[in-house]
Amino acid sequence: MVRLITHNLLACHAKGCTSNNFPLQLKDVQLEQREAEFNPDFLRRFMPKLDWGALVDTARQLGDDSLPLEQPEMFDDDFLRKLHHVLLEVSVEEGAMVCPNCSHIYPISNGIPNMLLAENEIG
Amino acid sequence: MAPKVTATTISLDAQTHEDTHVHAVYDQIASHFSSTRYKPWPIIDTFISSLPTGSIGLDSGTGNGKYLPLPLDPVKSVMTIGMDRSRNLLLIAQNAGGKERSREVVWGDVLGGCWRRGAFDYAISIATIHHLATPERRRAAVERLLESVTPHGGRVLIYVWAIEQDVLSKRSIPGEEEAQVQETAGRDVFVPWVLSKPTAKGSPQLDGEAESPQVFNRYYHMFEAGELRGLVVQAAERMGLSVGEEVAGGEKEGVEIVQDGWERSNYFVELRRWKRVNGI
Ligand SMILES: [Zn+2]
Repeated sequence: MVRLITHNLLACHAKGCTSNNFPLQLKDVQLEQREAEFNPDFLRRFMPKLDWGALVDTARQLGDDSLPLEQPEMFDDDFLRKLHHVLLEVSVEEGAMVCPNCSHIYPISNGIPNMLLAENEIG
Repeated sequence: MAPKVTATTISLDAQTHEDTHVHAVYDQIASHFSSTRYKPWPIIDTFISSLPTGSIGLDSGTGNGKYLPLPLDPVKSVMTIGMDRSRNLLLIAQNAGGKERSREVVWGDVLGGCWRRGAFDYAISIATIHHLATPERRRAAVERLLESVTPHGGRVLIYVWAIEQDVLSKRSIPGEEEAQVQETAGRDVFVPWVLSKPTAKGSPQLDGEAESPQVFNRYYHMFEAGELRGLVVQAAERMGLSVGEEVAGGEKEGVEIVQDGWERSNYFVELRRWKRVNGI
């Protein structure tokens, strides 16, 4: 599974690709919804580490606009449940991620992203 | 089982050597290997248990993902993402801890840097770096780990196989020994894996796995005393990090060797990155 929490951490690492290499653009995706245990404590403390803009943009591209463009400073249970769903319950099973800078394609199959590069592509 | 270890040299280029004697082997033996690897080492559970709730981490060389469900006693909630070079092991790691497809795994290389820099709070690399065939590649793997965690308190735990294979624990205090690594440090060996049963009980048969008994030679670099610490010092230097504790008015950015020792035939090192904000 590539849940959006993982997608929020992945960046292109092709040779020479060091700027504008995040977030990777999802393409031709097959999504699956998978229920996960709601843990507000984890979410509250994890939230500052997110790249919020990347998360919201990616979720919207997948047709989920439940999250606000600006990361709220105060948050209630309702908001945390929405964040939980976007971050941990939506997973990409098949598809690809494309680097916005160098267009390198990282395929996703069986929920596993292939981040390997050929030896000559490694920076 | 006490495998007979044989000495070896790297005759091919390092990447080809690792492809043949590490990656291809693990893909072949994945389910059998996994059926023998289920107990996480206590020191790793202790490390994960010491992390605050909300922490996110990387397990670089996750294998069958046995560390992904930690901590065993989940009073705190953290999330570890597994990365490995063997896709067949990742198919097993996805289900680590018994919950089907509950783990996040990434097919990647410990020498790749496919992460947003500093995105993780912690990184572990257990029994992985010793599969790399040159000192430069092992040092580069340490650099990738240090880069993956936040400069503001990011923590790293590394385990590698030791030449010293006895049962006596001998911990060394950080700063006690001078790190000095030469090209000849450690020992390159093959450790055979005998695949007697094609499919272990309860494990799925994966594509490309062998059907008949076979012996696979896995490549290991066995570390000698001080060698792992030496790699850390070299990696830190290349990244412009000072090695040692954070001192007020001292260096701006560094890495502290929190502990450094030997346990159960392995050397381990625990690191913590620090960065002083506004020079304070
Ligand atoms: Zn790129």
